[in-house]
Amino acid sequence: MASTRNIKIQTEAKRLLQEKAVDVVIGFKKGTLPYKMQPCFIHDAKEVEQFELNGLCSNNLAVYLNHRPKGEKTAIVVRGCESRAVQALVLENRHARENLYLIGVPCIGILDIQKLQADEQDPILAVEEEGDQVRVTYRSGEKTFKRIEILHDACLHCNHPQPMHADMVIDEPGYFEDKPFDKSYLGSFRKLSIKERNARFKEEAERCIRCYACREACPMCTCEECFVNHSRPQWTDSTTNPAGQQAWHIIRAFHQAGRCVSCGACERACPMNIKMTYLTDLLNQDIFTEYGFEPGADEALLPPFLTLGDDQVKFTDQQEDSHAD
Amino acid sequence: MQTKWISKKDFQKLVSKWVKKHAVYAPVHNGKELAFQAVEKPEQIVLDGYLNTRYPAKSLFLPQSEVLMSYDGILHSVENAEKEKIILGVRSCDVRAMRLLDHALIDDQNPDEYWKRKRESAIILTLGCNEPEETCFCTAVGGSPFSTNESDGLLIDMGDAYCIYLLTEKGKVLFKDLPDTDEAQLKSVKKMTKQVEKDMPALLPKLELHDALMASFETDFWKDVSQSCLGCGVCTFLCPSCFCFDIVDETVRKERVRNWDTCMFRTYSLEASGHNPRPTKAERTRQRVMHKFAYWVDLIDEIGCTGCGRCVKYCPVNIDIREIAAAALQQDFEGMKK
Amino acid sequence: MKNCYEPFPMHIDRVVIETTDATLKSFELTFDRKEDREEFFSKYNPGQFCQLSIFGKGEAPIGIASAAWEGDFVRFTVQKMGKFTTAIHAMHAGDPIGMRGPLGNGFPLDEWKGMNLLVIGGGCAFSTLYAMTKHILHPSHRADYAEITALYGTRNSGLCLYKPVIEEWHNRSDIEVHQAIDIAEDDWKYHVGFVPAVLEEMAPKPKNTVAVLCGPPVMTRFTLPILTKLGFPPERIFTSLEKRMKCGVGHCGRCNIGHKYVCKDGPVFTLKELQELPNEI
Repeated sequence: MASTRNIKIQTEAKRLLQEKAVDVVIGFKKGTLPYKMQPCFIHDAKEVEQFELNGLCSNNLAVYLNHRPKGEKTAIVVRGCESRAVQALVLENRHARENLYLIGVPCIGILDIQKLQADEQDPILAVEEEGDQVRVTYRSGEKTFKRIEILHDACLHCNHPQPMHADMVIDEPGYFEDKPFDKSYLGSFRKLSIKERNARFKEEAERCIRCYACREACPMCTCEECFVNHSRPQWTDSTTNPAGQQAWHIIRAFHQAGRCVSCGACERACPMNIKMTYLTDLLNQDIFTEYGFEPGADEALLPPFLTLGDDQVKFTDQQEDSHAD
Repeated sequence: MQTKWISKKDFQKLVSKWVKKHAVYAPVHNGKELAFQAVEKPEQIVLDGYLNTRYPAKSLFLPQSEVLMSYDGILHSVENAEKEKIILGVRSCDVRAMRLLDHALIDDQNPDEYWKRKRESAIILTLGCNEPEETCFCTAVGGSPFSTNESDGLLIDMGDAYCIYLLTEKGKVLFKDLPDTDEAQLKSVKKMTKQVEKDMPALLPKLELHDALMASFETDFWKDVSQSCLGCGVCTFLCPSCFCFDIVDETVRKERVRNWDTCMFRTYSLEASGHNPRPTKAERTRQRVMHKFAYWVDLIDEIGCTGCGRCVKYCPVNIDIREIAAAALQQDFEGMKK
Repeated sequence: MKNCYEPFPMHIDRVVIETTDATLKSFELTFDRKEDREEFFSKYNPGQFCQLSIFGKGEAPIGIASAAWEGDFVRFTVQKMGKFTTAIHAMHAGDPIGMRGPLGNGFPLDEWKGMNLLVIGGGCAFSTLYAMTKHILHPSHRADYAEITALYGTRNSGLCLYKPVIEEWHNRSDIEVHQAIDIAEDDWKYHVGFVPAVLEEMAPKPKNTVAVLCGPPVMTRFTLPILTKLGFPPERIFTSLEKRMKCGVGHCGRCNIGHKYVCKDGPVFTLKELQELPNEI
């Protein structure tokens, strides 16, 4: 029996397709493994029953807007971070807003499979979500978690789980409320010395296999030719040598400054479980302090680094050390 | 075939002996995941359970980044003789993949010396899979969890002992002083392995799948199948039978290096003129699937996928190659699962 | 042990600017080591290519543009396109360079003995056909083949390669040379028009004739149907393909079409072979 949330998503999708208001609706459907969901693309109103949204929907669907054919009218199911990613892309002129229809869904959070799977040798056979409880069946038996215990870290630090700038928001409560911008979790990292920070960073980066899953999962990575693919000049080392791994992560973080919506899709896509949202969160925290800017949150404001000298950029009076606690 | 029996305790002692004279590589938990590493103490080795290493064993022979030669005025090709290694605990799927890579890299007029040297200096001991994962499907592609024809020896976990199949002279030497298995032991092994294989997915109709894929080449099938693909390289980088590489000159270190490459990236087949024979995700996904399930069949009459399931497990968007194969055969995917 | 990725050390002996806009230059390379030269010429067959190598800039696959009888050098005609080709264009006689080869299958010249040859080339892809024609026109080989007709098309007369030698060929009686440019120019004595159209006008006879075609993808795409229309069967139409390559020896995987590698099983294929492979040029 589909949940009321899923039925409401399906109903809106059906309406849009039947009225030919859009060419395709992008959402999620059941995957082939107990702990995975698959992005799906429905063109036919008769197939909307496949749509489901739950805590296993680990991708940021906004990334697919970058893959769709030009001129298509696209509807997309969006939670908080996805809606902000779409807004950020629209403001960067990547997509025409009039060709998009955002079906807003108040967010229920994304589960972190790593937190669910303490023992990799004990396979997950089923995951059932019921409100704020999540019951996981392993080969060894069952265990029930509180949703908040096994949320992905990016969701724990998210201040906008409610979808923004959506064409409609389904009438079904999410599990998390909007709250003020707060990346204070970074306090412990900021207290570290430069040497210690370097060591932490290298420890994460050394597992990198340069598969670029993080880049491809990220809706904001839209460059036609990524800097790692340039040969004239060749900007970075192409190998799994530490120089290359570190250059990749640091430079990508800087390219995301003021643009990353902190959805965590990059970390969830990474096959080596590398942490990387802390890098963009550090930069975004500085940008929030200096300019009061949050990526994708405003109707019209562009990221500060795209508007140098422009009077659209607002400066705040906050001191540098107000967030270092 | 000669088979030996050894208690797990004695096996540990044997491995301690090996560690003194050889470089021994085995699955070790490195704090984050299971990976093949050089082993100092046999207690570090993880041979229990079903879990395969995330990073494939082929990286021991075809490293992800390998220096081919350096050039500082004079060219120096990397030609060091490889130290003899014992590689213990490789699953049958990864072992079968290495034989596929032998065909790709050394079975021709210009053998790849780097791969060849490493292969020839390694003794590989397969670990049988008593509990294949949900994502395993080696039997569907012509393999077996207890493969006896592609390495130097096969270890089968029988509870408190291993049954060892000696497959080559190199393997025989390692286990020479051990007692042969008796009839009862061998019977219990056969009973267990038969039960495991019975529960595995059925063999795919290789030629029918080949023909179905070739017929699908120009159709919209690939556009549909590739819609959710992100175009990252996870499936190909974790795949034990993928071998594509790029050759790059790293100017700071003055080295000519080869790095794993992937047909899933746009730049893979991009020509200097700007022409790209595989311009969209549809063509690239088509290349990956057809290479495994059609072109390998054309070359050596075997499916090039070894059913390890890593691409299924780690694909960020759950693109399931089993589902694609079933769809090509116009079958329900349920039929492919265990 | 021979390392298939290690280039032979060579030097540039001579550089010739082939076209008026200098985007195409020919480089004649000589071997540093006698044993490399002997190995190369023992295997070389026109239609093959080499991976030229400049450390720090990479490698590129370039067709061999000389016949063995021309001397102890190997000629390559290179168009300035990307990182590597820009680097080689900046080089001069006396500079060191690396070369791996000969690679690929080359033209099956033995199979064509006794037959007529129709040689069709476009732009800078003419280089391997040039090598092949030079090879066949040599007195020791000419008698093995019947009539030879060549059609060479370029965008304009300034882009025509090997002008002095082609001028000579116009005056020979043992080869019929046709040239074409896209748009009429003053003092142009030959055809005007695209290669497919000029070919159709020429209407060469297919009987006992092998057609060999090398050109940019767009020319190949439109010329192959003309040859079929004129009655050439697919097993007697040969073409040489180009692909992005790295290893050149069938290991790195990227130049495949179906189960064949352009660097190892090609680059010369018959139309019949291509029709049996997936359409991925």
